[in-house]
Amino acid sequence: MNLKIISALVKKEALQILRDPSTTIIAFVLPLMMLLLFMYGLNLDTPKVSLGLKIDDDTPQISNLIQSFNSSKYVRAKVYEDKDLMYKDISASKINGAVIIPNDFSKNLEKGDTASMLIITDGSYVNTANYVQSYPVAIANNWLSQSSYKTYLKPPVISANTRMWYNQDINSHYFILPGSFAITLNLVGLLLTALVIAREWERGTMESLLGTRVGKLDIILGKYIPYFILGILSLLFNVFLCIFVFKIPFHGSFVILFSVSALFLLTAIGIGLLISTIFKNQFLASQMSLGVGFLPALLLSGLMFPINSMPMFFQFLTMILPPRYYVTFIESEFMAGTIKNIVLINTIYLSILAILLFIAVYEKTSIRLEEGGK
Amino acid sequence: MNAVEIKNLTKNFGNIIAIDNISLNIKKGQITGLIGADASGKTTLMRLIIGLLLSDKGEISTLELNPRAQKEAVTACIGYMPQKFGMYEDLTVKENLDLYADLKGVSHDFEKVLTFTNLTKFQNRLAGKLSGGMKQKLGLACTLLGSPELLILDEPSVGVDPISRRELIKLVKDSITENTTVLWSTAYLDEAQNFDEAIILDKGKIIYQGPHQKLGDTNQKFEEKVIELMGGYKEKESEIAKDYNIKNTDVEFVVEADDLVKKYGEFYAVKNNTFKIRRGEIFGLLGPNGAGKSTSFKMMCGLSTPTNGTARIMGVDIKKNPTKARSNLGYMAQKFSLYGDLTVLENLRFFAGVYGIPILKRKKRLDEIIKIFNFEEYQDIMSKELPLGIKQRLSMACALIHEPAVLFLDEPTSGVDIIGRKEFWTHINALSKKGVTVLVTTHFMDEAEYCDRISLFYNGETVAIGTPDELKKSVNANSMEETFIKILEKNQGGEE
Repeated sequence: MNLKIISALVKKEALQILRDPSTTIIAFVLPLMMLLLFMYGLNLDTPKVSLGLKIDDDTPQISNLIQSFNSSKYVRAKVYEDKDLMYKDISASKINGAVIIPNDFSKNLEKGDTASMLIITDGSYVNTANYVQSYPVAIANNWLSQSSYKTYLKPPVISANTRMWYNQDINSHYFILPGSFAITLNLVGLLLTALVIAREWERGTMESLLGTRVGKLDIILGKYIPYFILGILSLLFNVFLCIFVFKIPFHGSFVILFSVSALFLLTAIGIGLLISTIFKNQFLASQMSLGVGFLPALLLSGLMFPINSMPMFFQFLTMILPPRYYVTFIESEFMAGTIKNIVLINTIYLSILAILLFIAVYEKTSIRLEEGGK
Repeated sequence: MNAVEIKNLTKNFGNIIAIDNISLNIKKGQITGLIGADASGKTTLMRLIIGLLLSDKGEISTLELNPRAQKEAVTACIGYMPQKFGMYEDLTVKENLDLYADLKGVSHDFEKVLTFTNLTKFQNRLAGKLSGGMKQKLGLACTLLGSPELLILDEPSVGVDPISRRELIKLVKDSITENTTVLWSTAYLDEAQNFDEAIILDKGKIIYQGPHQKLGDTNQKFEEKVIELMGGYKEKESEIAKDYNIKNTDVEFVVEADDLVKKYGEFYAVKNNTFKIRRGEIFGLLGPNGAGKSTSFKMMCGLSTPTNGTARIMGVDIKKNPTKARSNLGYMAQKFSLYGDLTVLENLRFFAGVYGIPILKRKKRLDEIIKIFNFEEYQDIMSKELPLGIKQRLSMACALIHEPAVLFLDEPTSGVDIIGRKEFWTHINALSKKGVTVLVTTHFMDEAEYCDRISLFYNGETVAIGTPDELKKSVNANSMEETFIKILEKNQGGEE
């Protein structure tokens, strides 16, 4: 290892990064697009469903029920006179479902009998169908407890008060946007580094380098350092966008946020360099980095799909990939603030992975055109 | 004293023997030339000497160090210039020099090396924007930094114009001390006279080592001796030409280039290229890499649209009617451009199909081709696994399968050994006698002698046109190389 050689290599890499517009695009423009997409395009919150209402019962209390439907923030209600028209609108997907209140509805309630209503849902949209099924029941029950029939209502044995901790508005942006750092850091750390060593092999510059006195560590650190710096800059940009532009609440500590992110970045760079050293070909390296970097960060990190609902095999798979640890950490750091245990466990895992990857890169890097020897 | 000592060295890549039990010593303080065709083992030998590859058997001692165990110590005292341009194209000349000075731990005083290489004016230009000759000079400049004891230069002169070639060898000679050892590899036999000692490699074996004068004092004699050492070559009648039937034509000028221009932005790749080729003539386009030969070529066969002007083949305008014009044309591209994953027979069958040989005649034609090209033992082998010479032969067979009246050959002999080249030209000569018109590019100056007429190409322009003798006489030169240099100097040549 020779500091002068490393600094020369870092300087060279920095010049190349600055001159190559695609690097800037991957490090800064792509994350910006992703945040915009996650902020305005993607929404995991419960959607507003549109319901058709057909009321055959015209007592005044029932018109209150219509009011309840109209004022619900989860439902957009439309009252129909003609049942056939309503059915037509369901099949044309103009409304997501319908509620039919029969003409004996209030009569049954008055007698203290069970009153029934019919809920029709469009089963071809399974998710929405679930909401269509549950919202009218909740609205009707709510209405019942405030109507003149409430005397028939038995007081519930258990009264549940719900409070959403950490994310009171249940706003999915609050965890998706920080979670997307896992994707960004993967792009910078993994995709870019996967390309650079492969590029040196393809262009023949590697052979020239190996013809000088550079050592193994010089080559490896000459790649780790510049892309680590670039990754941290990209992270700064992301954090700035998230907290100050998109106003995502942040309850944690910046020092811890950056320290753990730095660790995660090291694992990403490690994977990238490993891919690059093994394949020595830019096309293969970029395909591989999509496969082991980008997709797991998106699908196997718990960012989009909860890990504990995955099949066992995939649950194990998430354990050997770094994004899972990072996403867990970053979501809790943003929403709940620093929680000692979460920070500690994830730091340990990420450190182990970073070290293992560094060792693997060291073992796979050769100072010759073929493997073997000292 | 020896700078490099090698004993019983063998290196295999899979089934291919690259270096076959070689023993040799390279004397200190001398310039040793390593001469051989592609795949003769030059690059492998050089890489073994500096420890970039590891030997299977045998011993190497480089500057009394063992490249297997002491690679970093070896590379610290040598300068290595790989065959492929190894500098960073997105860094400037100065930045590349800075990098290599730091890697070697030497001072950043580049004045001398920049003056030597004439790169002072271009030090802030990106390396990727340099011409071929200047790139080689930059590579050499970086290699020379720190005055290493041993210089290993892998084909520094390949594809470079004759003037730059002379400059490169002069540059090396001027910048070394009497203790510097140089190992310089080349595919050109005529470079042997530049070296104190020549090592000639053929198929992984040394067939000659010693001063070139011992083999012959002229290039001609030297070449003949080398052919003898390689096992000799007897000129035979060309089987390919014997039963070759071409379509008769009454067009006098079978191939015409009419004011061809190709412009990329503000840059002229080809400028006003005009020539006419008679039926049965062999016409050569000569010039260094990047002079515009391949671009002209691609325009001539309709693979690239000219910015201005047009070309006619058998009187058919290539711009207006490319398909018809091309039907009379056989084309052999610069790189091996057949399907590596198809066997020899499958490649032939495919080309018979695309060139429109009627199905009923196809079988007969394929049998003929296999016989005259001697493909019997190779026909079921994947093309990518063929030896280089056979690949070249297959490319030619595919270009000739439909018996075209016009042949376009783009650097058909680059990388081929001297015997392969002789054989190749025998066929071409015989075909031209049958009336086939041939347009050929090459950067081997000696191949110009085989052409009826040549056009010298430089920086996108034709600088001279005529028969080889006419051109030589016009500037009072003995060899084609000298002719080219004199013509360029007369036209205020050199780079920018």
